[in-house]
Amino acid sequence: MSSLRISLTATALLAALAFPQVASALTKPELVEFLKAVDVRQKNNGDWRSMIYMEQKEKGKVDVAYEALVFRRSEDQKFIILFTQPKASQGQGYLRIDKNLWFYDPSVGKWERRTERERIGGTNSRRSDFDESRLAEEYDPEDNGEVKLGTYTAQVMTLKGKPNIDLAFPMIKLWVDKETKNILKREEYALSGRLLRTSFNSKWKKIYSESKKGDTWYPGEMRFYDEVEKANSTLIVIKSVDTKPLEPNLFTKAWLESKSR
Amino acid sequence: MANFFLDFRIALRSLFQHRRRAIFLVSAIALVTGLLVLLNALSTGISETMIRAATTLSSGHVNVGGFFKVTSSQCGPVVTEYEKVVKVVEQNVPELAHWVHRGRGWAKVISDSGSTQAGVTGIDITNEPDFKRVVSVVSGNIDDLTQPNTMLIFESQVERLKVKVGDAVTLSAQTNRGAANTVDCRIVAIAKDMGLMSKFGTFVPIETTRSLYQLRPDTTGAIQLYLKPRYVADAAAIAARLRTTLEHAGYRVMDPDANPFWMKFQTVNREDWTGQKLDVTTWEDEVSFLTWTLKVLSVLKLVLLTILIAIVVTGIMNTMWIAIRERTREIGTLRAIGMQRWGVLRMFLFESFQMGIIGTAAGAVGGSIVASLVNLAEIKVPLSVQLFLMSDQLHLAVHVSSLVSAAVMITVITTLAALYPAYRAASLPPVSAMSHFG
Repeated sequence: MSSLRISLTATALLAALAFPQVASALTKPELVEFLKAVDVRQKNNGDWRSMIYMEQKEKGKVDVAYEALVFRRSEDQKFIILFTQPKASQGQGYLRIDKNLWFYDPSVGKWERRTERERIGGTNSRRSDFDESRLAEEYDPEDNGEVKLGTYTAQVMTLKGKPNIDLAFPMIKLWVDKETKNILKREEYALSGRLLRTSFNSKWKKIYSESKKGDTWYPGEMRFYDEVEKANSTLIVIKSVDTKPLEPNLFTKAWLESKSR
Repeated sequence: MANFFLDFRIALRSLFQHRRRAIFLVSAIALVTGLLVLLNALSTGISETMIRAATTLSSGHVNVGGFFKVTSSQCGPVVTEYEKVVKVVEQNVPELAHWVHRGRGWAKVISDSGSTQAGVTGIDITNEPDFKRVVSVVSGNIDDLTQPNTMLIFESQVERLKVKVGDAVTLSAQTNRGAANTVDCRIVAIAKDMGLMSKFGTFVPIETTRSLYQLRPDTTGAIQLYLKPRYVADAAAIAARLRTTLEHAGYRVMDPDANPFWMKFQTVNREDWTGQKLDVTTWEDEVSFLTWTLKVLSVLKLVLLTILIAIVVTGIMNTMWIAIRERTREIGTLRAIGMQRWGVLRMFLFESFQMGIIGTAAGAVGGSIVASLVNLAEIKVPLSVQLFLMSDQLHLAVHVSSLVSAAVMITVITTLAALYPAYRAASLPPVSAMSHFG
């Protein structure tokens, strides 16, 4: 009898190890709704201002740190990153208008058109890391079941880029906290299928947004690990978030230029 | 005519008579000619090395490259349906000797121990005998570039990546639509450095560049045209003609811009157009960021030459003045026994001419010998100089034409320098000349 109990326990344990993602699978529409909920949770449907701290560690190089202000407007997807520290980068900035990303360097006084997939300030972060989440618009999700990630129960899903949308990472794997729908972990893959970047979002915070008439959630800290150059990593800290309306003429080249004068 | 030869003989004897002065002047002329020959050899050597490296690594004599813009803010160095473009070229460029096509790109090359940003050139090694001849492989086998996902790198990149033949590296880049992509490559050959251009250049099979940038098989980065040797100097004119021809054939062609393709991304990104535009360049355009060394060298050569010639002219004129003063009684005697003013003038000019001929001949021979010794010694140059010489050693190129032109120029200047003193000598009245003491 006891041997039967042992064998049953062992079978159950083996089954648990072999099939860790045994929770009920989500249907495709449920998964899309789930992904939309992930986006909605982070949207504020209005203006956004935050301060970010970026730290880049690269093998064989001196660590680089930046402080910058991020401004964005949901209505027309306008976006600004204005560097405030270090002194050498003060006044440099990115401006996204009409789906074009521009970079301004006050030392040369020139605007350069950059690709949307630009590495911000040479770090391993992209513009999309600071922008509103649009995962459901850009990707089709596939269910990978549930897993335990520390104390969290995470819904795992593979997102594949929708046709005719230009994306930096054509495939993403997400671990989303089932309870809060906050993204916990994210793996981004190249077209070749190679894992390029893993990020961990922690210290999720909320702020009341008047324009949304509800809470907007954002990760207080994001850590990006380069999976090709293993020693490289980037830390982003988001602080001083404000959702009050911004000046109407803020998202212009003239405004960004004026900040370096 | 007899007088002519007589004057020539008198001038020659006079040189032997005053051999100390003549030896001094001939030596000065030889030194100046030798320096001129060496300066010419240096600038010609750099120029030849530059052409050879440029036309091996990144350019033909004329190139048909271009950009394809998926959206107005995203461009890639791509020529679509390149075989159709080649047909137009073949029909309209009779000066063409042969052509090759290369993939163009820029990627991060990552090894287990390091990484570097590098140009990634796609190459069909089976059709590039010149490339195999010029690139000096120090390790591995260049023919292995026929295998997919292989790579040739240069010695200086080995230091940064800490790799050897057989090791794997990852190429990481964005496709022309902005998606991240990677390709794993095996290093099959390590080549000797070829100056600045090899610091940031790697070569992979063209299929690898297509795979990395997700391009169709009928695309390439640039069509490199190699001209028959006698037309190489006409590359700019042929490029201009080809621009018009391609426009007439229905292609959109970019305005001439004497810069390498990788310096045009910003300009092209700023422009609001999509689709394909071709860009016709010459090898000089593609290495325009380096040709300033040649310009600096030319200016330096001109300045040095002016100083040296000024010294020689002053020396010749002074010596002639002294000779005339010393030989005033001789001039008077020659005039008294029937030598005409022209004869005196000719005699002094001949003296100068003879010194010029002997001095320049000695200088040309001496300069050539020194240049040959320098080449034989295979003198290594510092890294900073290598970047601009496009070679790890000093190469001096001496051509007969440059020797002859240097000798003729210095001889003419030397002869002309004696013109005024000779004229003054010829103008002396015989009586006062004969009674001159001193």
